[in-house]
Amino acid sequence: MINGLYRKLDLSIRVLLVLAILFLLLPLLPGRFPLVVGTEILILGLLALSFNMIYGYMGQISFGHAAFFGLGAYTSALILRPLIEAGQLGYLGFFLALAAAVPISALGALIVGFFCVRLTGIYFAILSLAFGELLFYIVFSWYSFTKGDDGIQGLMPPFVFKSGVIYYYFTFAVVGITALLLRKISRSPFGYTLRMLRDNQNRTAFLGIDIRRVMLLNFVIAGAFAGLAGALWGPFQRSVSPALLGWHQSGVPVFMTLIGGAAHFAGPLVGSIIYTALNAYVTQFTSYWPLTIGLIILCVVLFLPGGLLSVIDIWVHRGRKADT
Amino acid sequence: MSRPILEIHNLNKAFGGLFATKDVDFELKQGTKEAIIGPNGAGKSTFFALVSGYHRPDAGTIHFDGKEITGHKPHEIARLGISRAFQVSNIFPRLTVEENVRSAVQARSGKAFDLFSRADMMGLERTEEILSLCNLIQKRSGLAGELSQGDKKRLELALALAGQPKLLLLDEPTAGMSSEETKETMDLVDRLNSKFGLTILFSEHDMSVVFSHAQRITLLHRGQIIMSGSPAEVRGNEQAQKIYLGEQP
Repeated sequence: MINGLYRKLDLSIRVLLVLAILFLLLPLLPGRFPLVVGTEILILGLLALSFNMIYGYMGQISFGHAAFFGLGAYTSALILRPLIEAGQLGYLGFFLALAAAVPISALGALIVGFFCVRLTGIYFAILSLAFGELLFYIVFSWYSFTKGDDGIQGLMPPFVFKSGVIYYYFTFAVVGITALLLRKISRSPFGYTLRMLRDNQNRTAFLGIDIRRVMLLNFVIAGAFAGLAGALWGPFQRSVSPALLGWHQSGVPVFMTLIGGAAHFAGPLVGSIIYTALNAYVTQFTSYWPLTIGLIILCVVLFLPGGLLSVIDIWVHRGRKADT
Repeated sequence: MSRPILEIHNLNKAFGGLFATKDVDFELKQGTKEAIIGPNGAGKSTFFALVSGYHRPDAGTIHFDGKEITGHKPHEIARLGISRAFQVSNIFPRLTVEENVRSAVQARSGKAFDLFSRADMMGLERTEEILSLCNLIQKRSGLAGELSQGDKKRLELALALAGQPKLLLLDEPTAGMSSEETKETMDLVDRLNSKFGLTILFSEHDMSVVFSHAQRITLLHRGQIIMSGSPAEVRGNEQAQKIYLGEQP
């Protein structure tokens, strides 16, 4: 029976189950470093999962997705900072500050998306990049409100969340629940509407679907989840800076998704593990991280098109169908 | 049953000075099965594209089921009940055959924006019905992109049917099919018309198909309607023979 159940589970849910167990056990590793890397993997993994709603499911590429990550990070930081300064940050304020990032990022995505969904392909990509840089520049130069290039420092979470282990498990819970929610959306009729759009926009319209509305709703969903990831980032790093909105940061979920595999729901999360862990350990030995990640991406594109999970999928199933 | 479902007046569309549709007046009665014929470039596909909202007409009006639809968007026209099957099969290649049809069925029942139900539990009965009607049951779990040309065309028809249309526009439904597949497909088209009362307008290259399946035939040439009539009338028309049937002396 277990065997039968196992066979019914697709690759992504199996990968997610294994990863969930590994993530739960990760704090057993000695030292603080694994916890820091683990938290980073989870937060950036959520960013990449939300990015893949646009890329893997809807078939458009966004080079400005970090704008919503940064927007979420700044929203919660700007609420947290005065509370911390006044010494009044309790659990309620902390949770509300994190939660506030979701509607604000969604609103940002609604405005940016309103323009982006009018375009597809390279034009969609370039417009998302332009809006991302625009938001970056606003945060960068609006010193009186955002502290500009200095960023916002001292974002100490309250009480027990100061502990690395507890913040790690908190992040694990939030990312776990939202990942399951995203997976549910990806398997809903809306998720299949996205796939139809990816495969054939014209045909989708002729089936009576308003394709711009579909794209806009998905853009807002992806932006909202990216914002939540951003909200987790500030208290984790104790600071936020404008670079979180920039195009370097927007490249991160793109790389992660390509490495892990866009055709599988769990792909971006797997990509986050590889990217973040390598980043963390490689930078201990060399300052040539960009060169390293460049070579990795080169190898993935040339030898593993479809990413790591696609290769595993072919091994395991001899080419059974992907999730997306 | 003789109420017109599609009324077109003085329809014009030009591409860079070349008329693809010129002063076309056309009427289609509910429950009929008619064909549009014409040589390559006669404007058949443009005509379908205008009715389904893919192109905006330069002039003229289109009424469907008593409502004006001139210049409406494709998704609005589809929702009113016009489904279009394309000449070059136009499917969702990375979804399975079943997912193709199921998603189209869900779109029709207004579930395209349903975020939290399971897609694989919804609209299954109707999906099943369409798959078996179009003889695709055995291919249901294969990827649509990997089907043969004939099967792709059948899936194309299945997608159009999933829209539960009142009017079905079929642009060369048997293009690229073997003679056996052609017969099977046209039998299905006949059944959709006679059994389900669907109004059908199709274009077709194969004259034997047209003459044996259409109740009325409209001949297009250089964007203009040359004549309209029963198969016998078209067959006997000298001008039609000259233009289309290639029986010049």
